[in-house]
Amino acid sequence: MNASRRFLIGLAAVAGITLAWEIAGRTHLVEPLLLPPPSEIVTTAIDLARDGYRGTPLWQHLALSLARALGAFAAATLVGVPLGLAMGAAPGFGAVLDPFVQFLRPLPKLALIPLVILWFGIGETSKVLLIFISAALSIIVGTAAAVSTVQRQRIRAGRALGAHGLALFRYVILPHILPELFVTLRLSFGIGWTTLIAAEMIASDAGIGWMVVNAGSYLRTDVVMLGIVILGGTGYALDLALLGLQRWAAPWSGRA
Amino acid sequence: MTTSPLIVLEHVEKRFEDRRARRETVALDGLSLGVGEGEFVCLLGPSGCGKSTVLDLLAGFEQPTRGRVTIDGKPVGRPSPDRGIVFQEATLFPWLSVIDNITFASRLAGRPASEYRPRAQELIEMMGLRGFEHHAVYELSGGMRQRVAIARAWISQPLLLLMDEPFGALDAQTRLAMQELLLAAREQRRSTVLFVTHDIEEALFLSDRIAIMSGRPGRIVEEIIVPYPRPRAYQEIIAMRSFGELKRSILATLREQAARPQHATMESLAHGDD
Repeated sequence: MNASRRFLIGLAAVAGITLAWEIAGRTHLVEPLLLPPPSEIVTTAIDLARDGYRGTPLWQHLALSLARALGAFAAATLVGVPLGLAMGAAPGFGAVLDPFVQFLRPLPKLALIPLVILWFGIGETSKVLLIFISAALSIIVGTAAAVSTVQRQRIRAGRALGAHGLALFRYVILPHILPELFVTLRLSFGIGWTTLIAAEMIASDAGIGWMVVNAGSYLRTDVVMLGIVILGGTGYALDLALLGLQRWAAPWSGRA
Repeated sequence: MTTSPLIVLEHVEKRFEDRRARRETVALDGLSLGVGEGEFVCLLGPSGCGKSTVLDLLAGFEQPTRGRVTIDGKPVGRPSPDRGIVFQEATLFPWLSVIDNITFASRLAGRPASEYRPRAQELIEMMGLRGFEHHAVYELSGGMRQRVAIARAWISQPLLLLMDEPFGALDAQTRLAMQELLLAAREQRRSTVLFVTHDIEEALFLSDRIAIMSGRPGRIVEEIIVPYPRPRAYQEIIAMRSFGELKRSILATLREQAARPQHATMESLAHGDD
């Protein structure tokens, strides 16, 4: 099946479900308070875009969430990739860090919230730190794994051509793991984005994650749904952006 | 022979440790072989006999457990472009174009472009890669990838070329075309080649001499001088009476070696090398 056909089928599926959902809401098949129909969510979106939610314009909620997530993700990449590379390349170093990384990685990051608040207060630092921790751990593990799976024959080819030590790393191993590195970054971004809601639950007064939680406590299901659509759509768009970056930087992904 | 051979392997033994199984595999035992400068030698043997291990020792990927391995009188050091290697799978770098793959070693060594550019151009012509210089290597066919791999190894003007079943993964037509291309290219540059294969016809068509290895642990059991003058034409050589006779005799030796009981206690699957 080619790409445009897949896309069209996907689009048709989304349109079909949206229509069924709208009908279910309008005919009161489903209580609109529990599941507001799409048209109501659109109305809410227009309202919030004009008047804001709890005193903050909608775009500012989104910008704040994006800034937190992207800032934390950028920092996680800058810290996680070199650490993962070092762990993969130097088994001794890897052995030292591995138990800590493996302990923290599967840990639900919500459990860290009390500590993070205690240590860093309830400001921006805590929220960004929580997203950072989630994404960085996943990046470290993925990067280290990518380094250790470079085929022996490929490393031998590099050595036979005169690449040793740092040159081998820089000109053979690093470009080799680029496709896998992008996969790791995409997965880690998803994890970081997921942590956003948790991070924005920490005594916040703005951000899409906060908006969803806050609206829930006032039974504003339309705002909750809108927040979910924004969170999902933004995550999707950012993943597509990373995919585009991968296709540009490593066009041989999955082909060599 | 008045001068000593370029490559000397003397009473070489190679053991691999298998820690988990707590035993050792003896890949090579008492292997001796000399290859003269400009000579084309094929290593032929049953699978798992340690053919590739011989190349690994010469490349510098592995060190012998016992015995001596020298090239040009000097012990083999770490891997270097002065021993060109072509593997069965073209281990090209997919992030580099054809020309950048070929010039990788030269650029890494910091050689001036004025030196490697003309050489690369010459090799591109010789390997029939003209017009593909700036193509991505993952877009090429298997045969073309191997041509790039050969050019990449050859550009550094290596003392010898080590080839580990380089055409083994290609279809029959492409394989023959590659064999002819290799011979034609070698008419122009008299490189020393050590070529591992399990294909008897390939060995007879390409080499000056065939060294037949025993089953594991590997050593040389028989050496056969291939009597055909160069340049060689495939259809002429396979039509010769002696071709069939040599093929039969080599096949008999190989069968005998494959049937020979191997050192069961020393066997280990963990270090199968080919």
